[in-house]
Amino acid sequence: MELLNINIPDWADLAWWLPEAILCGTFLVALLADLVVRGRRPWLPFAVSVAGLVTAGAYAVAALDPGTRTILGDLVVVDGLAAYFRLLFIFVGLVTVLFAWTAEEIMGRTRENKGEFFALTVLMTAAMCVMAEAKDLLMLYLSMEAVGIVSYVMAGYMRTSLRSTEASLKYVIFGAVSSAIMLYGLSLLYGMTGSMQFDGIRAGLMGGQVDDFGLLVAVILVIAGMSYKIAAVPFHYWAPDVYEGAPTPVSALFSVGPKAAGFALMIRFFYTTLAAGPDAAGSAGLVQQINWPLLIAVMSAVTMTYGNLVALRQLNVKRMLAYSSIAHVGYLLMGFVLLTETGLQAILFYLLVYALMNLGAFLFVVAINNHLRSEHLDDYVGLGFRAPWAGVMMVVFLASLTGVPPFAGFVGKWYLFIAVMDKQWFWLAIIAALNSVVSLYYYFRVVKAMFLTRPAEGANLSPLKLHWLQYVLLAVLAIPTLGLGLFFGQFTGLADRAILMMTTGF
Amino acid sequence: MTNNLPVGAVDVGVTGHFATVLVFVLVGFAFAGLALGVAKLLRPSAPNPNKLTTYECGELPRGSSWVRFNVRFYLIALFFIVFDVEIIFLFPWAVVFKQLYPVPGLGAVVFWEMVIFLSILSLGLAYVWVKGDLDWVKKLIERPGGTDQAAVPADEEVTAP
Repeated sequence: MELLNINIPDWADLAWWLPEAILCGTFLVALLADLVVRGRRPWLPFAVSVAGLVTAGAYAVAALDPGTRTILGDLVVVDGLAAYFRLLFIFVGLVTVLFAWTAEEIMGRTRENKGEFFALTVLMTAAMCVMAEAKDLLMLYLSMEAVGIVSYVMAGYMRTSLRSTEASLKYVIFGAVSSAIMLYGLSLLYGMTGSMQFDGIRAGLMGGQVDDFGLLVAVILVIAGMSYKIAAVPFHYWAPDVYEGAPTPVSALFSVGPKAAGFALMIRFFYTTLAAGPDAAGSAGLVQQINWPLLIAVMSAVTMTYGNLVALRQLNVKRMLAYSSIAHVGYLLMGFVLLTETGLQAILFYLLVYALMNLGAFLFVVAINNHLRSEHLDDYVGLGFRAPWAGVMMVVFLASLTGVPPFAGFVGKWYLFIAVMDKQWFWLAIIAALNSVVSLYYYFRVVKAMFLTRPAEGANLSPLKLHWLQYVLLAVLAIPTLGLGLFFGQFTGLADRAILMMTTGF
Repeated sequence: MTNNLPVGAVDVGVTGHFATVLVFVLVGFAFAGLALGVAKLLRPSAPNPNKLTTYECGELPRGSSWVRFNVRFYLIALFFIVFDVEIIFLFPWAVVFKQLYPVPGLGAVVFWEMVIFLSILSLGLAYVWVKGDLDWVKKLIERPGGTDQAAVPADEEVTAP
């Protein structure tokens, strides 16, 4: 009998996928634990999830220098880029789980399915890791859908809240449409090049028998799908409603996790399939018919301007942070314009900084919401005196989000500016700088409400006592937000190495 | 993509594959059109109100068809998918299992992969079971904070035909 031609999997290489395997296992165990206790002891799945995330994180740290390992039959690759993002996602997942534990919106007395929340966060972390590793169209789509489906469930987590279910439904509908659009683009790419693999597509494109117009359409469709994931204008419209309606810990996760995963995917997809390669000057992909840098630059400028201008008018702090996260996608896209190594390194570093400061700002909103049941700016009046420590740390996060010098946000933005100014794209840098000035207004309006506005007569000014874990987490996020602004060499070095490993590895 | 073709197959390229798909689509449309067209030409046409009524399992149809369906129908459909997917993977696996099992270093992998897959699916089954979704009439969950959902009016409930 003729044997099928199947490669026996190489177990040694599969070991590089241990963090993902641990996360998947943790999800199953946490879900099972929740079933066994019938959802009555949420600390059990919580403990399982934290243990799993910490273990996976430890392995991810150990595997920070993987070289280039192609595993699972060429479907995923673990390289510097994947290792960097993997660590980032596990950190984000861990912070989300920990602060969901302290959030009334998740753990309140009337809430259901508390244990499942932790299991779902772990699953989402695993799926985001795979997004950063996919090197095959099939895996790309599968991982994006996995992240998407978990997101839909988490957005509608507060089942009895109209706002939350509305957020979930909107997310599902926009998600389905955009993923269909992207799938069409992917199928066109496959049809034209005959390969599902990123390097195979590249080889097919290099072969030169590809219709330029078809390629243009395909790539634009794919960009549309990915822009939805990162919430860039004009595919941002779901973001404010979803962030506002979803429980705040979930909004925090959404505004950092899937966004970073989307960027990881975009970087790998565009760099290994469309860019001219590491030896060329960097810019100008293979699709010559269209001015790529200009397209992305316009998208970047429009995204940051739109996000900032609309954020100006928001009185709900959560919604304001949603628009601010759109603006930050605009800044991040600056690093993507020219597809240079400098730009990609800047994106990686900025995503790290952004994760710290944005999670911090959202955590503050969670802590305040626990007490006040409100995210409205008017209710923030006097908070600086009711919760001084947390208030000061919130100022650190907001200043960093603005990009004021001693904080990490400034260094991150500085690198992004360098990436465009390197190639004489001054107009984009000027727009970004003007935008930063605009953002100062709405970030510091929160600071003003907390510290400067005089509370109304008879307002409740009793001190707020936050959960001890919230103080710890705020400090864990605030200290590097301050520290990375002063000592960033180590971490930019990490980002540089991650990109170098990817660019020289293929 | 030329090296893994079966013996005797001709590499027609990607365009060739899509041409095959196109032919399939065209033949499909032509077949349906032909069958319906011929029937239209041959059959007598004598419509009356009874004939034109929507068929609803022999009952007299009443009301609009745009009603809210009970969400349990969708749940049942989802559970069905659990088993459906299981079968879809089990069949091809079973077909090649006999060939692959004797291969050293592969037999155990092939076996345990399916065991892992089935246990993950069983966890899904256990999940719906514990949550009480296998019962057609689901027990209402006690909500300590009371319920802020309006009860679904009885006339919007749709029962199986």
